[in-house]
Amino acid sequence: MSHRKTAWAILTLTVLALCLAASVPDAAAQKKGGILKVGNLGEPPTLDAHWTTATITEVLAQHIYEGLYSLDAKSQPIPMLAEGMPAVSKDGLSYTFKLRQGIKFHNGKEMTSADVVASLNRWGAQSTYGKNLYARVAEVRAVDKYTVQMQVKEKTATVVISLAIPNNAAAIYPKEVIDKFKPAEKATEWIGTGPFKLVEWKPDRHIKMARFDDYQPRKEAASGYGGRKVVHINELLWMPVPDAATRVAQMETGELDFADDLDLNAYERLKKTAGVQAIVAKPYYWLVAVFNKKEGLMTNQKLRQAWQAALDMEPIMKNVAGGHAELYRMDSSLAFVENTPWHTKIKGLPWNEHNRDKAKRLLREAGYKGEPIRFMTTQEYKWMYDFALLSKQQLEDAGFTIDLQVVDWATLVKRRNNEKEYDAFTTGIGNAYDPTHHVYLTPNWPGWTNDEEINRLLAELAGEGDYKKRFALWEQVTRVFYDKVPVARYGDLFGLRASRSHVKGFDTTLMRPRFHNVWLDK
Amino acid sequence: MLVVVTVVFLLIHLIPGDPVAVILGPEASAQQIEDARRELGLDRPLHEQLLRFYARLLRGDLGRSYFLDRPVTQALWERAEPTLVLMAAALFVAVLIGVPTGIVAGAYQGSWWDRGLMTAALLGVCVPGFWLSLNFIYLFSVRLGWLPVAGYASVFQDPVAAARYMLLPAVSLGFNQSALIARIARSCMIEVLRQDYIRTARAKGLAERSVIFLHAFRNALVPVVTVIGITMAILIGGAVVTEIVFNIPGLGRLIISAILRRDYPVVQGVVLLTAAAYMLINLMVDVVYAYIDPRIRYA
Repeated sequence: MSHRKTAWAILTLTVLALCLAASVPDAAAQKKGGILKVGNLGEPPTLDAHWTTATITEVLAQHIYEGLYSLDAKSQPIPMLAEGMPAVSKDGLSYTFKLRQGIKFHNGKEMTSADVVASLNRWGAQSTYGKNLYARVAEVRAVDKYTVQMQVKEKTATVVISLAIPNNAAAIYPKEVIDKFKPAEKATEWIGTGPFKLVEWKPDRHIKMARFDDYQPRKEAASGYGGRKVVHINELLWMPVPDAATRVAQMETGELDFADDLDLNAYERLKKTAGVQAIVAKPYYWLVAVFNKKEGLMTNQKLRQAWQAALDMEPIMKNVAGGHAELYRMDSSLAFVENTPWHTKIKGLPWNEHNRDKAKRLLREAGYKGEPIRFMTTQEYKWMYDFALLSKQQLEDAGFTIDLQVVDWATLVKRRNNEKEYDAFTTGIGNAYDPTHHVYLTPNWPGWTNDEEINRLLAELAGEGDYKKRFALWEQVTRVFYDKVPVARYGDLFGLRASRSHVKGFDTTLMRPRFHNVWLDK
Repeated sequence: MLVVVTVVFLLIHLIPGDPVAVILGPEASAQQIEDARRELGLDRPLHEQLLRFYARLLRGDLGRSYFLDRPVTQALWERAEPTLVLMAAALFVAVLIGVPTGIVAGAYQGSWWDRGLMTAALLGVCVPGFWLSLNFIYLFSVRLGWLPVAGYASVFQDPVAAARYMLLPAVSLGFNQSALIARIARSCMIEVLRQDYIRTARAKGLAERSVIFLHAFRNALVPVVTVIGITMAILIGGAVVTEIVFNIPGLGRLIISAILRRDYPVVQGVVLLTAAAYMLINLMVDVVYAYIDPRIRYA
């Protein structure tokens, strides 16, 4: 080899080495150790993931537990405890799941098909999404130590997505825990396979989690809630701080490393604070007025349409978001923009029309004579109260008479289950990962949407496996939604969270925070 | 106590709200809520629930928290230390500020001292606790960085950290309470200083300091002790706002979250404890009366 060739070879190798070194700066910079203090708004009602749809439980439990599947950055199911996607029989009635081998629970026991079968059956009996799926499930059984088979009664498009959603999740527990706690009973032993294990729960003080050293990350790159999860920190300390102003002050002084659910009015203040990063949490909720369609005034479709036509939503959203354009979004799709597969872009929908004349005409057609409409809200969630109050003004300008009833949250969630006690109530709708999971379109949820056309379309969606056909059906649902107006959809509201600048690796695109792959650089 | 128990039970059960709907989260179906209500016995008639409550109470069982998954007695015990420490610290501050202020204002009635101190006391009564607390946090924690914003450390495990966490809440709460003590101490001092025996003491040529502290103060103390007793009882029930703003895991925070979640057994437990504390403190105050004023004797 000539000297020139040798020189070229050395130069090429040097450049390659430099490129490689430059491509992994984070890996080199990631530091192990430290305690991450997270301020959140209160105590979870339980850490039993099967038991509640409460968001705070979802956030905490998803650090301890995992399911067979998780969601990637585009809200698509990806394998987690399952080796890969299930093998589906030709008739579409049998799903076979191969489990990853050597996965340990926090108690040191290896996860097997017996744990998975027991967990799925408990989830199917208790969870909102589990019950939904199990209505179509004939049997779940262990084929061998690492294989589980699910038989469905009819073709079902929602098997994998139902197993992947993080709320009220199909978390896998050890069978011993399942045997101890029947579905209707909250589990008080919290053992999972997740990257963090629970160390201590002292109500009103902290929930302490530690790195699970026997955790085996997947090989695929991290994406959304799934993929490769590595825990760099030693401890994760969740500190309930119910007062939002205190959480903000603790972020400013550095007493907390991270805080969630902050008051949107603190956005500017946090942005100006040195050493703090204000994070806009997208998506959070779309705001909604849910109508009582079982009894009372709002059973009248024209009246619901008039409500929808009367609203000028942009000023409402802007006000609720504290005047910050970055904290809200105007969108009519029933799935968030971030929920890529189901986000619709239908033009000409009767949304945000702020057409007072149309509203007045519809009120006349409805035979409305100014009877008070009981609109229930709460001040416990400021955004709910704000949008209810602003709606009342706009609706009354259009001819409605609104009896705004402000109650506490516990009263609201009780009364909304009684058709005699209200005409409309405020709430927020979070991310639903499949069209069949939108609770406000179903007859079993307060407001009781029991529309033949919607029911038929949702039934077709549940059985249809082809994505394109499903999307077309979903677009039809959206059109029917804006015609029947089971609920009035406002805009998307975002959440506010903050982290200190030494917190590195946090995925700011996630709807709910996760602290795997996060490290402290201090 | 039976009356307190019954009234509290009925009040908390008769206000609208459902603990199960809160626990199960916003997307729970009506069927799930019904199932869980049955599991917790909340579907039974109210009189049956009340009788069961009495029966448990006779066995010394306050029930189990729906939300916290533990016996109410355990939940109360876990939160007793922070509340007692806060109460003691705030009371110390309140007495330290309130009693001398009242004495000076009473002894120099109508002077600039009196007017200045009573204006400050009026402010102390009027200023909302949360406003004072938030301003203290902003000044001493956020701006100056001298003290932590919020939190709690056990005095038994880390006394220095405990003192740092407790200083701001104790001062903000104590300042509020000191105003009441100062006003009562002042009016008692004025009343006592008008008595004949005080005139006699002065006529004998006793120094003003001796007249005030040896003759007037002790006799003015009985109503002041009553106010201190009442303050103590209020603080045991939980200094709700202070505990929430400073994130102290005490009984005040417990009862507020229990009311918001309709955690009936916990609300009943805290109210029972507070009622018992009132009775005990009243007893202590009566004993202290006899010590301060030997003329008071109980048959």
